[in-house]
Amino acid sequence: MVFCLLLLAAHMHPWEGTGFFLLLLVSIPIDIWALGLCARTVFIDRLKVDPQPGIGKNLWIRWAVFSAIALPLIKIIVSGATGIAKSVTSSIVHSIEEAIYEIPVAEQISLELVMWGSVASGVLILCALGWLYGLGWLTQSFVRNAKPLDGTEEERANFWDGLRIPADQPLLLTAFTGAGVVLVFVFWALLPSTTPHPHEEYEFISTGPKEEKVEPKKVLKEAEKVLAKAELVVKKLEEEKGGESKDSKDEKAKESVTKEAQPENKK
Amino acid sequence: MQQDSQPANQPNPFEKVVEFVDERVGLKTIQAKMLNEPIPGGSRWAYAFGSVLLFIFILQVVTGILLMFYYVPSTDHAYDSTQYIIHEVDYGWFLLSYHFWGSSAMVVMVFAHMSQVFLWGAYKKPRELVWLVGLALFGIVMGFGFTGYLLPWDQRAYWATVVGVEIMDKTPIVGDFMARFLKGGPTPGQMTLSRFFVIHVMVLPAALMGLAGLHIFLFRKAGPAGPFRGTPEELKAKTDYFFPRQIWKDIVAMASVFLIICSLAFIEPVVLLEQATPDPGDYHPEPEWYFLFLFQLLRLKMFGGELGQLMGAMVLPGAFMAFLAALPFIDTNPERNLFKRPIALVGWIVIMVFILIFTVSAIINRDFLH
Repeated sequence: MVFCLLLLAAHMHPWEGTGFFLLLLVSIPIDIWALGLCARTVFIDRLKVDPQPGIGKNLWIRWAVFSAIALPLIKIIVSGATGIAKSVTSSIVHSIEEAIYEIPVAEQISLELVMWGSVASGVLILCALGWLYGLGWLTQSFVRNAKPLDGTEEERANFWDGLRIPADQPLLLTAFTGAGVVLVFVFWALLPSTTPHPHEEYEFISTGPKEEKVEPKKVLKEAEKVLAKAELVVKKLEEEKGGESKDSKDEKAKESVTKEAQPENKK
Repeated sequence: MQQDSQPANQPNPFEKVVEFVDERVGLKTIQAKMLNEPIPGGSRWAYAFGSVLLFIFILQVVTGILLMFYYVPSTDHAYDSTQYIIHEVDYGWFLLSYHFWGSSAMVVMVFAHMSQVFLWGAYKKPRELVWLVGLALFGIVMGFGFTGYLLPWDQRAYWATVVGVEIMDKTPIVGDFMARFLKGGPTPGQMTLSRFFVIHVMVLPAALMGLAGLHIFLFRKAGPAGPFRGTPEELKAKTDYFFPRQIWKDIVAMASVFLIICSLAFIEPVVLLEQATPDPGDYHPEPEWYFLFLFQLLRLKMFGGELGQLMGAMVLPGAFMAFLAALPFIDTNPERNLFKRPIALVGWIVIMVFILIFTVSAIINRDFLH
């Protein structure tokens, strides 16, 4: 699981290509160790016998060879049975609908599921029982060769307890803690900080102050426009001023004419 | 000759600190009570569900608090702030996805824990109160899922809430009040979001913490039930303390669940739909996966119409919960061996198959909608 997670964090799918191969490679020794541990528990606790050393490895090899043949076979049988059950169920439901009455969608789905699901589950359970029977048959020789355990229930429990206690407990604890710390660091180092699945329509929302981008060509063009406008305004003002001065000269001339004429009238 | 600066029996600084605290709070007594609980028949993997549930809840609190630093519970900003968490906040996508999958893991663990207690016959005398408080905790976990689903404020969240509140509205007497209280208006809006947020981050965590404390207290008071099979001599010989073996099994189970949630967060991270609108458009409203079986049940013709919907949405689930609450008082037979309780075994299988069939049917039903 840990390895699987690290592969995922590194953007490598553990169920495809190299990831799958690596996962398989890592899982084999762990599997052998776990099988050995479980086998010892069952042998001592349930069967009251002490198995021979190396039971994990020996049992794993036998089971692996048997499962490599049996499991694909089971898959073929179950998928075949499921396919047949589905088509038979579908034709039964259709004939009911044609002959008797229209079954509503929700009812039809559940009815079909129960019908083909029962057949598929039955075949799966039978196949699984056969596979387990085969595993048990392969284990029988290990039970026959095991040493019978005498003594009371308490003595047997103590014997099993003694086997479970690691020889160097502080070393085990330190190793576990150390591995945990390393894995945490590796995990956070591999983990992408932003989502590897961005939303199609998501737009970046900036929270900081807006940066103003300077584009020299645009600025020059804008400046030219401003200058052109300013030139126009100046020209207009000059024209207006020119017009104004002409008008004021005319007015002054008129005023002088009237001034000259006024004394005569007063007199 | 070099002399030790510290004599052999002299406590080191750390031991001195522990001694100081112990004198004032009774640390060693608490530690002894916590770890030296005898487990009849010894430690088992089946007993790890309760501890795993507590672990998931603690991580939900931690990730929830971290998400709250960025989440804004308003209809204008809920969607954008959730998108911000997913796209901009460092590791925000992972925290949100972990929180999302953690909630599902909590529901799965509650189912597993309740199943284990039921199959082991651990609800029987003298553990009736432990069972009842556990049922209340189950309701709270479901409440967490329902209220948390609305918070991202996308189409999925909005319409799941609309469907959920409509189902609630069908409850006799209190249904109308409950629906109006939760919605806070004729259609889901700001008031709905505020109320769901407060319930999700304040009311339910407080209730869960209090009830979980009571649950553990009652469990310790009654003591572990132990296995339902085995001779008294065998059980006595295998009886063990909580520390170290059960603790070890609990830690391994917690680590496994943690890794599974992390993997799910990677494989299926939270991706929001469009922002919530009162028009569903092409989206077909659907509740969370653990309510799918009930949703599909309501599609059956026999549960059509007002009365049928009331029966399917409220009466049947309500009657089932009432039956579970009454179970320790109905089933007074002290026999705990599952294989000598055929009704219990068959009943459990029937319920699980029923849930499975209707959940899968709901998934198949999606193809008929598109």
